[in-house]
Amino acid sequence: MDEDLPYTLSNVAQLGGHEDRAWHIAWNPAKSLLASCSADKSVKLFTYSHDGEGTLNFTLAASIPTGHLKTVRSVAWSPSGRTLATASFDSNIGIWEQELDDDGNPGEWECASLLEGHETECKSVAYSSTGTLLASCSRDKTVWIWEVQPDSDFECMGVLMEHTQDVKCVAWHPTEEILASGSYDDTIKLYVDDPQDDWFCCATLTGHQSTVWSLSWSPNGKYLASASDDKTVRLWRRNGEYDFKCVLVLEGQERSVYSVSWGVGKSSQENDSSLGWIASAGGDGVVRVWDLSENPSSTADVPLVKLIARLPAAHGVFDINSVVWCPRKGYEDLLATSGDDVVTQTLQTTYQRRLRQ
Amino acid sequence: MAFSGALTLTDLNDFITPSQACIKPVEQILSKTEGKQPGSASNEIRIDHNGSYYEVNGATPIGGSTTPGKKLEQAQISLNDCLACSGCITSAESVLITLQSHNEVLSFLSSNATADVPSRKVPVISIAPQSLASLAASVSSPSSAPITPRQMFHRLRAFCKEVLGFDHVFDTTFARHVALREHVKEFIERQEEYRLKDQAVKSEGGTALPMLASACPGWICYAEKAHPEMLPFIARTQSPQQVMGTLVKHWMGEKWGKQPNEIYHVSVMPCYDKKLEASRADFYNEAYSTRDVDCVITTGEMQLLAQEKGWDLSSPVPEEDTLQPSLTTSSKLLSDVSLPELMVHSGSSSGGYLQSIIEHIQSTSPTPLSLSVKQIRNADYEEFVLRREAEPAAEGKIVFKGAKCYGFRNLQNVVRKVGKETGVRVAMGAAGKLKGQAAVMKRGRRGQEMISEKGYDYIEVMACPGGCVNGGGQAKPPTNFGAVEDAEGYSRKWEESGVLLEDNSGPLAAKWGNKEWTKRVENVYWHDLPTPPASPTSENHHMTNSGEKEDAGYDSEIRNEIVMMADRLLIDVTDELYRSGSQHNLFRTNYRAVESEVVGLAVKW
Repeated sequence: MDEDLPYTLSNVAQLGGHEDRAWHIAWNPAKSLLASCSADKSVKLFTYSHDGEGTLNFTLAASIPTGHLKTVRSVAWSPSGRTLATASFDSNIGIWEQELDDDGNPGEWECASLLEGHETECKSVAYSSTGTLLASCSRDKTVWIWEVQPDSDFECMGVLMEHTQDVKCVAWHPTEEILASGSYDDTIKLYVDDPQDDWFCCATLTGHQSTVWSLSWSPNGKYLASASDDKTVRLWRRNGEYDFKCVLVLEGQERSVYSVSWGVGKSSQENDSSLGWIASAGGDGVVRVWDLSENPSSTADVPLVKLIARLPAAHGVFDINSVVWCPRKGYEDLLATSGDDVVTQTLQTTYQRRLRQ
Repeated sequence: MAFSGALTLTDLNDFITPSQACIKPVEQILSKTEGKQPGSASNEIRIDHNGSYYEVNGATPIGGSTTPGKKLEQAQISLNDCLACSGCITSAESVLITLQSHNEVLSFLSSNATADVPSRKVPVISIAPQSLASLAASVSSPSSAPITPRQMFHRLRAFCKEVLGFDHVFDTTFARHVALREHVKEFIERQEEYRLKDQAVKSEGGTALPMLASACPGWICYAEKAHPEMLPFIARTQSPQQVMGTLVKHWMGEKWGKQPNEIYHVSVMPCYDKKLEASRADFYNEAYSTRDVDCVITTGEMQLLAQEKGWDLSSPVPEEDTLQPSLTTSSKLLSDVSLPELMVHSGSSSGGYLQSIIEHIQSTSPTPLSLSVKQIRNADYEEFVLRREAEPAAEGKIVFKGAKCYGFRNLQNVVRKVGKETGVRVAMGAAGKLKGQAAVMKRGRRGQEMISEKGYDYIEVMACPGGCVNGGGQAKPPTNFGAVEDAEGYSRKWEESGVLLEDNSGPLAAKWGNKEWTKRVENVYWHDLPTPPASPTSENHHMTNSGEKEDAGYDSEIRNEIVMMADRLLIDVTDELYRSGSQHNLFRTNYRAVESEVVGLAVKW
């Protein structure tokens, strides 16, 4: 049945270097730089470029030992691409910037700030679309919102204690200041700022039967995708300011879904109603790619969905911990995965020009 | 979802259930007289239908119901265990509620009432003014004039004396007055020390500036567990609850001819963490095996007590509006102790700690000072700056910079700001310490102007947003409150003013309801007599420096008189306590960092 799928996922590069399981990856939005983090407490930075023959080559550019006392669970770039945030099981968030030497050349990656406050393991960190806000979450059940100030200074804007269990992930809306968080309590919470007052939880999305591991907004901001331990990915449509409804459940995964990423996609045919591509991965070791588009004929708000690519055993027998689309123009078909096999790899999604037989 | 119990991970616990069980090891002290080695194989433990544990001798035939075996003591975690542990932060509410609850008070009172005269204890209850405001607001009907804290105090006093059987009922405002005076004294001491040392004190165990308020037990607990580097900055002055404890157990006890353990002292507080505070080792008297405050109940628990006993707090009691009779005569009677009642301390409804320091600096300054108040983000974070009134053209030199900082979020920013200004270690992790030097130095060059700006001298820190009137132990707003009415009693139609509301249980309704309720309690807090006493002269009217929150019905002359009376009484109290052998650091306390015991391997997640 795999042969029927119109796209294939092919390995572009195996990125070694970590000494323990690779947890998470973040593509720099502004330049050719990919960050991956690991239980070995380090962050590796890879650059990539096309060689003369058009092949994409990845090179290890830097390794940040971080100094975190425990696993670095998640990484996030600021929209400018100049700052990297790390979330660690040592309960701290690290903020990293590249030093400039006297001649203005980039040097070492230095810890510009350390955000303390979480009581236990930090699980995820994310910058808002404008880069002025940073969100973090932890096993301590809280979500924190920080304002990014000049000179790597941070002010705590909110401590949201809405979840009843471990918070696994945070994700900012692509254009608005809306934050989503997913938790071991099986719910998704959405938060907004009251300009007269504090941040508050404006919606709770229920439906998943188990832990919500990962969240990703559609590029147009109208949908939110959530990956869960209940082996499904759910799509939530935003119908009103704080009104979200589950419109689709993507099934077929055989184990927990640990990661979901929603990219703009590189569709073979240009299409106004395209909603982009969703990639999912998890315990069954399979990377799946779905094509999403608005249903033009329906008023039911249910988008059309089609599985377009599938790569089994992407990390051998190992779990895949995260899958992330490259956000940069020209690289929309590129995605990176990281797994328990210590490896981070990049995959390319290509259209199969094969004739049906 | 559940993982097997054998799976104990240390570092990679992303997949492990989040709720961590209490990690405190429970010790059982076995009496020496028992011949058998504990843990020897012939011991068997049975649990009966009540959940009691029995140690059964190995020889007992199975099913031998005639010999139930020796009943074993059930393991208990005490408040002191919680205080000494870093496993969780002030969340062990179930533990608190069983050990210090209104049922505990009732069971003491009933056993005390039937006790023989020699072993009978004097039951005393002290009520916080924020609790009075909360109860007054919750029984006020929206249509009529609100109940004042004074009326509520008289109603509670009648209830506590007539129904519960308390001998004495006090409010804690005189104790707060003592705490405020001590607080100002400590601030001056610290400033003096700071001048002498010429620099911020970073020494271990020393004290330092800025001084941070010490009345909020939630903040103290959090600092001890999560930010030990803040401890030198926290004032050593006891909170009003603990000052009251000293007054009742030692000063009044002396007057009544009672030893501290012959008095049972209950306090009514807006806050659950006050239970933790009362349980601190510093407030335990070894010689008499007694605490300064024996039991703390919350405002909500007081309300429950009244409900259970069928006492209606909304119906008036005789003479509930009267000011207390003059103190000068009654305090001379040794048998009857009287304290100034319901004193008003302006500035904030959380005690007015910052205001008392500002007032002191203003009143002792050789040159006139002007106060400016700046709201930083919302009412929970305000900056107060005292400047010398220099030439009108130039801004005067800053003499004092203080802040009022409430809520967990603002508390985080206080910790960061104070840590940065004073250079104490904030970072607990290794990241940043190792590699941050260059970045810090670079910032130092660029941000020189910013760094030379004057730091804070004093911060009134409270853990609850809105301060103590919004404490976790306060009475819950009436069920009909919130969605339809605002603080002034007008009903608002949110839909018409462009606010989208799906239904009344939506997020906005819940949020506005709570904020409005806190505002209502705050208003009641500052509202004393329904009608002001005759002939108030406008220029005599004392305005607080922040230009707000003036209580409605108090004539400033009466108020000044009460303050003078309180100060005279304070001198007497201090003298008498010293004479009866109290240590010199009366009304002060200590803090200690709680080292994290949570080592990965030791914890089963």
